[in-house]
Amino acid sequence: MTDQAPGSGVEVAREGWFVRAAGRIGDLGSPFYDEERQRDVWDEASAVGFQLLLWLLPGAAVVSVWVGGAAAVPYALVMLLASGLSSGVVLAFARARGLDLGAAVGVTVVRWRLLALLLLLGAFCAGVVRVTPEDSAGRGFGWGMLGGAVLGVAAVAWSQHRARRASS
Amino acid sequence: MGRRSAQGRSNAVRGARTAMGLTQADLAAAAGVTRQTVVAVEAGDYAPSVYLALALAERLGRSVEDLFGHGAAAGVAAGSAGDASRSEESTR
Repeated sequence: MTDQAPGSGVEVAREGWFVRAAGRIGDLGSPFYDEERQRDVWDEASAVGFQLLLWLLPGAAVVSVWVGGAAAVPYALVMLLASGLSSGVVLAFARARGLDLGAAVGVTVVRWRLLALLLLLGAFCAGVVRVTPEDSAGRGFGWGMLGGAVLGVAAVAWSQHRARRASS
Repeated sequence: MGRRSAQGRSNAVRGARTAMGLTQADLAAAAGVTRQTVVAVEAGDYAPSVYLALALAERLGRSVEDLFGHGAAAGVAAGSAGDASRSEESTR
């Protein structure tokens, strides 16, 4: 989304509602961010925290299902949804600010992390299948998610393979 | 590690600052940053944005190239030594 700067013929980025809303959530207009090193260090600290949550929440969901049984499935799902929603907002914000992950440096590492995350999801789905009664909707849901996770792993592996071939 | 890491590259900020008799707090206030940032820049732990580099250069009366270019630290050290020897000569 761009505007033409008056009289300059230069296109400048215009912030959409999503970026403005995300900015409110992140309190990005705070004077705290005016000091550049403070902002950079905080960005890095936030990335550490985000990555930690990204792994802790699915990890906790897997443990909950395998330890807590069927009663823990709804809570585990909420943890997964919270993790997925946060990740989705991060990716959407980056995209809205012009960061194309497909062209980003070091994206191979991200793919490997995605693969590990999908394996974690697979463990979650296997847990759901194990703890839910046969012929229940939960069992079908678990199998569906497990199938999705397997397809996801295959897709990541295929994309990894293509990236390697393209770079060689 | 950090995306703004200067990866230990030396710079001439400390030399230029001390040559002008400024404290880190003075320079930080002039550039509109915290003293910690000046400390990090001088230590080569943080590569400033072009705008901060310009602000530092302006306050220190040098060019960004003088402060952060290749061999900047050696250049300012030599320049300071030259200034010192010249001032010694002028007092004789």
